Amino acid sequence: MRKPIACVFLILCLLPALSFGADAPVTGGTLIWGRGGDSVSLDLAQATDGESIKAGIQVLENLVIFGKDSMNVEPQLAESWKVSDDGRTWTFKLRRGVKFHDGYPFNAQAVYDSFARVVFKEHPYNSYGQWKYPSLSLGPVKDIKVVDDYTIALITDKPYAPLLNNLALWLCPILSPKAMADYKDKIGQHPVGTGPFKFVSWTKDDQIVLERNKDYWGEKAKVNKIILKSIPEPSARLMALQSGTVDIADDLDPDSIALVKKNQKIAIIERPSVNVGYLAFNTEKPRLKDPKVRQALSHAVDKDTLIKSIFAGLAIPAKNPFPPSIWSYNDAIKAYDYNPEKAKKLLTEAKFDFNTEIELWAMPVSRAYMPEPVKTAELIQAYFAAVGVKAKIVRHEWGAYLSKTQNGEHDMCMLGWLGGNADPDNFLYGLLSADTAKTPGAANVAIWKNAEFTDLCLKGQKTFNKADRTKIYLKAQEIFHAEAPWLPLVHSTIVRCYSKKLHDVPLRPNGLNSFQMVWKEK
Amino acid sequence: MHSWETFSDLLRNRSAVAGMVLIALVLLVAVAGPGLAPYDPLKPAPLERLQGSSERHWFGTDSLGRDIFSRVIYGTRISILIGLISVSISLVPGTFLGLMAGYFGGRIDSLIMRLMDMLLAFPAILLAIFITAILEPNLTNTMIAVGIVYIPHYARIVRSSVLSLKEQLFVQAIAHLGGSHARILARHILPNAMPPIIVYATLGMGTAVLQAAALGFLGLGAQPPQPEWGAMLSEGRQYIQIAPHVAAFPGAAILVLVLGFNLFGDGLRDALDPSLRMV
Repeated sequence: MRKPIACVFLILCLLPALSFGADAPVTGGTLIWGRGGDSVSLDLAQATDGESIKAGIQVLENLVIFGKDSMNVEPQLAESWKVSDDGRTWTFKLRRGVKFHDGYPFNAQAVYDSFARVVFKEHPYNSYGQWKYPSLSLGPVKDIKVVDDYTIALITDKPYAPLLNNLALWLCPILSPKAMADYKDKIGQHPVGTGPFKFVSWTKDDQIVLERNKDYWGEKAKVNKIILKSIPEPSARLMALQSGTVDIADDLDPDSIALVKKNQKIAIIERPSVNVGYLAFNTEKPRLKDPKVRQALSHAVDKDTLIKSIFAGLAIPAKNPFPPSIWSYNDAIKAYDYNPEKAKKLLTEAKFDFNTEIELWAMPVSRAYMPEPVKTAELIQAYFAAVGVKAKIVRHEWGAYLSKTQNGEHDMCMLGWLGGNADPDNFLYGLLSADTAKTPGAANVAIWKNAEFTDLCLKGQKTFNKADRTKIYLKAQEIFHAEAPWLPLVHSTIVRCYSKKLHDVPLRPNGLNSFQMVWKEK
Repeated sequence: MHSWETFSDLLRNRSAVAGMVLIALVLLVAVAGPGLAPYDPLKPAPLERLQGSSERHWFGTDSLGRDIFSRVIYGTRISILIGLISVSISLVPGTFLGLMAGYFGGRIDSLIMRLMDMLLAFPAILLAIFITAILEPNLTNTMIAVGIVYIPHYARIVRSSVLSLKEQLFVQAIAHLGGSHARILARHILPNAMPPIIVYATLGMGTAVLQAAALGFLGLGAQPPQPEWGAMLSEGRQYIQIAPHVAAFPGAAILVLVLGFNLFGDGLRDALDPSLRMV
């Protein structure tokens, strides 16, 4: 007789849990997050890759931040800000009563140290890291002033409109000054910030463990722990999600996403991204110097078929360097249509050498903007073959791939960009100006040095009026289109696949979110 | 060695016959290749991707919509070629080194065999990966790598045969009659050392195909869009849930060829080894 009684008792106990389990947020539990690779550094001023940022932004915070599902800039550790009339001084009023994870108080001095180590060569912490961003996005910041304990001013040597969006991008997260002094060059392995989660441990190439910050200044995180697990094989990540060993699986290939959509236990969010996947023509190689050749090759590839097949429809064709979701997108530009006959004609006119193989470099890793790089390369190879151009696919390990392409060693290479700050400048100046075409380390892998285009980019940076900036960027896109240093391929749709046990999962167009509001059913 | 006797032994060995049939089948496909393949193995048809078996595509289509049946057929040539070339690469120098070491002995023997021991100390696949990584990954280098890895195996087998052969009376007699080293090695020792080498080379064909497929699987062998079976198998692994046929057919092709060589090689050993000869 004991058993039935126990059963009834158990059911009675479970009833309340069942009745409100679905919609009221609950605290606790562990969120396991499967992703394609490990982070490089959790000091985000030293990292450019998505896997580092994904983990780091749970721990570290900025002065300003993008909205949870949008790219509008909102306050984070700064409560408000203003720009001086000459456009050179940005003054930030800081939030009070915030503490770092090590108990150290957050104030203007902490902001000063976090910025100064990146910007000033003579700062004692400058030698502790390799700073990825100063030249790209913080270049014009020449002085930083602590006005009072909770006010800080950034002074640029010229008006620099993209600064605020760049700051929302974790280029200069605010770290505990005590931790920076203690950990020195190891701060990237021991990040101490103000975020909703605290760093616990990091097992290289395996997992990063974060725990809830009980003293967080804002709305406290719901889950107790986040474990970010590296599962390099996409099919293994898919299986882990299906079997419930992970709660989120990132960067699944489009075919798997189609499969996941049929699974009742898995939820999906899709969002047009702020990225571009492209094929860059090395404009310094004799055979690709002539814009006519580059235009011809642009006519040779059928992007619609590429998207329908390899991208399983999860992308839109690209014609400009940045996606239509970013302001100043030039929709008047007429994309190079798929026209093999025209391509052949243009190539013949340009006296293209059809007999020698041309190198087509394919990325060895998949990214949101290029989920199937080798297959995409094979398809492009076939399209080129159809117009008589013999392309040879070249592959290198990812680190070597980046450094060699930034050195201009390729003929053509596939790459992409996630314009995390949703500012056209990030794409146009960052990836296509003459300033960034200097080898080695050229972010402009087309090594395209167009004076008129570069001047427009620089002018855009100094212009604060959005309507005027728009005009400048519309013109810059026309030059890009005519010169065709890239064959822009796609703007992919970003997708987040997660277990339906999770709720309030956010997804910004750049794919990078803090998970403080996410909660998990028991 | 009575070749007719050996052959009839071989025919009585069921597994050897099965092996021969499989190899013959694969060879036929390799020779007739382009005539049999209904489609261009390299031409993508992206909108027809990942289709299952049908009348139009017997083995279905791969992730770029290429006909897997045609690709498997073209891949046959690549695999046979890999087998032949890499086995030759290990066979010729391996036999030569084994002959030298066994026949001359002493310092030459120590030098050659220690070198072989060094090569043997590496796991085969690791050494092959190492070699292709240095040489740049492509099909030719895969064959070279797989070939080099197995040189010591042949050297060892040949050396041990030579050691016993050179003590035998007929060799001693010729040496005393003033036969030159070259004559003794080429006319008397080598032919008698052949049977184990033939057996090993036959089995080695299977191993070479498998190793090359493994390198292809790891992305170090044939480069896209070449229809090499290992590379095709590797590609298919991603679609194992959605379209298992993409991996299944190249996998089955590898199985058939390797099984053929192994069965035939085993049968050949039984036929050539007097101690195992069926009565």
